[in-house]
Amino acid sequence: MKNHKLFSFLLTPILFFLLVPSASFSQDYYVYVAAESEDEVHLIHLDGKTNKAEIAKTIQVGRYPTETDGPHGINISPDGEYWFLSIAHGNPYGMLAKYKTGTDELVATTDLGMFPASMEISKSTGLLYVVNFNLHGDMVPSTVSVVDPDYMEVITDIKTGIMPHGSRITDDGTKQYHVSMMTDELYEINTAGLNVNRTLSLKKSAMKMDGMKDHSDHSEEHKENHEKHMKDGTHEEHSKKENEMKEDHSGHDMDGMKKNGMKMMHAKPEVKPTWADPHPTKPFVYVAGNGSDEIIEIDTEKWAVTRRFKSGKAPYNLEVSHDGKILVASYKGEGATGIFDLESGKEIAKIKNSRKVTHGVAISSDNRYAFLSVEGIGGEPGSVDIIDLKTNKRVAVVETGKQAGGIVFWKQVAQ
Amino acid sequence: MKSFTMKFFQLTGLLSVLILSLFATPIVAQDADSGLKIVTDPEVITLDVGQELQLKAMLLNAEGEVQPDTMIYFSRARRSLSVTRSGLMKALEPGSFTVIVYKTAQGDHPVMRKNVSVTVNYPKLDRIVFNDVPGKLYAGTSFQLESRVYDVLDFKREDLEVSDYKSSNPKVLDINQFGRINAKSPGKAKITASIEGVTKTQEIEVVTNPVVSVEISVNEEVARTGDVLTLKSVAKDKKGNVVSDAPIVYSFTARPDDSRGEAAPAQIEQNGKFVANKSGLYTIAARNSGSVAETTVKINPRNVQREVEILGNAKVTDVPTSDLWVWEGVDGRDYAATGTHVGRGEAFFWDVTDPENMIAIDTITVDARVVNDVKVSEDGKIAVISREGASDRKNGLVILDVTDPANVEILSRFDDGLTGGVHNVFIYENHIYAINNGRRYDIINIEDPKNPYRVSQFELDTPGHAVHDVWIEDGIAYSSNWTDGVVAVDVGSKLGGDMESIGGSPENPKMLGSFTYPSGWNHAAFPFKSKSSDNFYIAAGDEAFPGGIPAGWIHFFKLNSWEEAEEVARYEVPEAGTHNIWIKDDVMYVAYYQGGLRIVDVSGELMGNLYDQGREIAKFKPSVNEGIGPNQPMSWGPQPYKDMIFVSDMNSGLWAIKLKPVQGTASN
Repeated sequence: MKNHKLFSFLLTPILFFLLVPSASFSQDYYVYVAAESEDEVHLIHLDGKTNKAEIAKTIQVGRYPTETDGPHGINISPDGEYWFLSIAHGNPYGMLAKYKTGTDELVATTDLGMFPASMEISKSTGLLYVVNFNLHGDMVPSTVSVVDPDYMEVITDIKTGIMPHGSRITDDGTKQYHVSMMTDELYEINTAGLNVNRTLSLKKSAMKMDGMKDHSDHSEEHKENHEKHMKDGTHEEHSKKENEMKEDHSGHDMDGMKKNGMKMMHAKPEVKPTWADPHPTKPFVYVAGNGSDEIIEIDTEKWAVTRRFKSGKAPYNLEVSHDGKILVASYKGEGATGIFDLESGKEIAKIKNSRKVTHGVAISSDNRYAFLSVEGIGGEPGSVDIIDLKTNKRVAVVETGKQAGGIVFWKQVAQ
Repeated sequence: MKSFTMKFFQLTGLLSVLILSLFATPIVAQDADSGLKIVTDPEVITLDVGQELQLKAMLLNAEGEVQPDTMIYFSRARRSLSVTRSGLMKALEPGSFTVIVYKTAQGDHPVMRKNVSVTVNYPKLDRIVFNDVPGKLYAGTSFQLESRVYDVLDFKREDLEVSDYKSSNPKVLDINQFGRINAKSPGKAKITASIEGVTKTQEIEVVTNPVVSVEISVNEEVARTGDVLTLKSVAKDKKGNVVSDAPIVYSFTARPDDSRGEAAPAQIEQNGKFVANKSGLYTIAARNSGSVAETTVKINPRNVQREVEILGNAKVTDVPTSDLWVWEGVDGRDYAATGTHVGRGEAFFWDVTDPENMIAIDTITVDARVVNDVKVSEDGKIAVISREGASDRKNGLVILDVTDPANVEILSRFDDGLTGGVHNVFIYENHIYAINNGRRYDIINIEDPKNPYRVSQFELDTPGHAVHDVWIEDGIAYSSNWTDGVVAVDVGSKLGGDMESIGGSPENPKMLGSFTYPSGWNHAAFPFKSKSSDNFYIAAGDEAFPGGIPAGWIHFFKLNSWEEAEEVARYEVPEAGTHNIWIKDDVMYVAYYQGGLRIVDVSGELMGNLYDQGREIAKFKPSVNEGIGPNQPMSWGPQPYKDMIFVSDMNSGLWAIKLKPVQGTASN
């Protein structure tokens, strides 16, 4: 009897833990955010019970204590053990720094290319893929550096477009997506082959030049097709044609042009894409059209633009929720955050941010909160604005160091 | 209930840790759960340089069956051992290297990795090469032999040091394990160096030494610490004829005034240069075989130390202060401009006519977080400030009208092609020299300051080049380029001569020369023609933070020509790190970050570490307790101005100081 009681005592909480979703309890949420003009990374803590948030810890980062080294991109290893930070400025190259989560001790660094920015580790290869944004350099093709995060060594550089940004990887880790801001292209990298699989022009004009119909608009026919696709994953034949045509316009033969002694000329970018994020379960990638004020949906099976959502001004970063239902985008140009229902493609909420120049987006693993980094202007502090995705209301603001930029969700734990 | 709740959350916390730990699986070569493991064929790899090998990696299950999977291969030393993605290796250099084989994740199978050690054999040794060994040595003299070892592929073997030296006739000459040859008596002998079966032999003839006497003279018998003395020595035969090819070896003995454990009191070079760090008596010997001559010099303390009088502090304690510029305004009053670092994009303007009461008279705010540099034109009418950290990431520079420094007006902005940020600027003869994104400098015409336009750019073509600062004197731009050192560029000099690179202009800058040093820390440069010697020096300052602490020193290059310079001296404060420098009238002012401002006598010829030579005239550690770093100096930049010295300090703002008059000092 005594043993039975003891067994029941032990079993009950275990069953309780297993059967009741953890999100039912109040949670503590943690995000890391980089303050680019302060050379600091903050660990932000949100109390999910009270919606009160605070800086739990500040970590000084960078190479030169008396210079602004510019921490830009930040991400966490799939096992949650380490966080990685790209430092944009250097002499001349930027670097990648690896820190232990929790203790935040610096583990190692490695040099990257010019102005390294966003990054992610592939669950498939275990390698980290970071774009060298080269924001202020010459308008020349840049690279994606591939780093072994254990050894912190660059094992290869993959040539890509001009001003690549927004490195995000599919959930299975096999494909990395980023955009080439100055050539209006989406790039897909085979993470195992370490090569560019394919590129896609994101321009509307690229479609219309050949007198073909732009299927990326919001025609009723297209909406119907898309809804069908979203539901059953099938694809329409017409998109294949669109795909073929678009591939012809998907990029420039940089090597060929160089070999032929031609000066590379690039048309003025229309879309200025700045971010790409694959859907967690469906074959879509969503791109922020920073110059065209739109969110662009790409069907990766058809390799074609399938929808364009009108957005607020200058969307910069975006993230699809982990359940794939909504998309949260930062509107850098108007200091606001847009929330989209991905089925309808409608912006269901626009939330004004606490200050100007909204930058990064991170969504909690339970899809409850969106954390938006907001840069601010000049000497103004940056901030992390926290939006409750149930109510689509801003529930907390945490002031940070100047120019809050790269942001990543670390963990949530039951209180 | 409380107890249960606590235990519940403790338990859930533990379970969370356990569950998290399942995902925290390290990348391994063998997966314990699935029994999968990576094996390679071959397992042990040894290659010769140039040899290729196809590495095959397979994934085996627990039963040893090969599983279909994707493997990718990388070398951790691509320049020494290349490997294609499919595993074809090629040995490029000898050594021990690692190739990594990755298995990508497939379904439930995790990412796996195996390290494969590869030994690339060193090629056989080919030859030993000696330095220029004279074919003839005078008996009683010595010579330092240096050996270099090469292999059959012409790699110089840095890892090998020859220590097996033999003389065929030790009575004629002997040689020790370090290659020191002592010529003993007339005759011929062969020296042989051996290593790993490779030998090199050279015959040396030892001849009778005609030298019977040596004479030594020194240019000053009484001097001060830090004064470089020049020794002249001649060796003569019994007829009194000079033996011009007789080697002379210099050495000294010291009797420092302070003999209580004092170290390294002087330095002597075999070219006949001597400098003492400490006062005392020094006996310098010039020797050829058994012939020795001595001279004694008395070295007095330099006695240049002076006290500093603090005139005033324009406190800036809510934002770090960056660079400064002090100038005489068109109204005859004295003004200063200071920048701000990681702040609100401000440049402050001060009336410093009364340095004891410096008054903030205007502030210019631009879209930036760092206004790193401020400069004012020679006529005191135009200023330029740099912009970094703009909210729209489009940085550049701003040109100001400072004719009335109390009402500074923005004349124009110049951002075209400068969006990466301008870190430093200089104004020279109606042109702005702007450090552009740390990669090059742009030269911008400001004859019409409201309509500036770029006339040229100067950029190095070295791999990974970067530039930090530029300073112009007499039509020559001296840029500081980290690993590429100081680069001198003619942008309108009056240099004569037939060098091809002379005759540059702002529109057509021409590189004269560059002066590098191994650390690659070159951050600032200041050229100066010594007023007390004929030497032309470039002071090259470091910026470095090893371990996060400012470090580095000032390197002094003595220019013999634009193609040739030698690093002859340094000023190294051991406990601090250099930042900006200014040299005027043979006095160097250097902001030494946490070491404050250092004022250093750089007159005369320079040799050795000036810090040790009593050349430091004064130091000033600015600090205020309400500073950004309370009671801590973090000095950024100095500027001597009229009879004062201004210094900007990150923690406390702008300071004006003055050196107190020289007091009567006793000299021994």
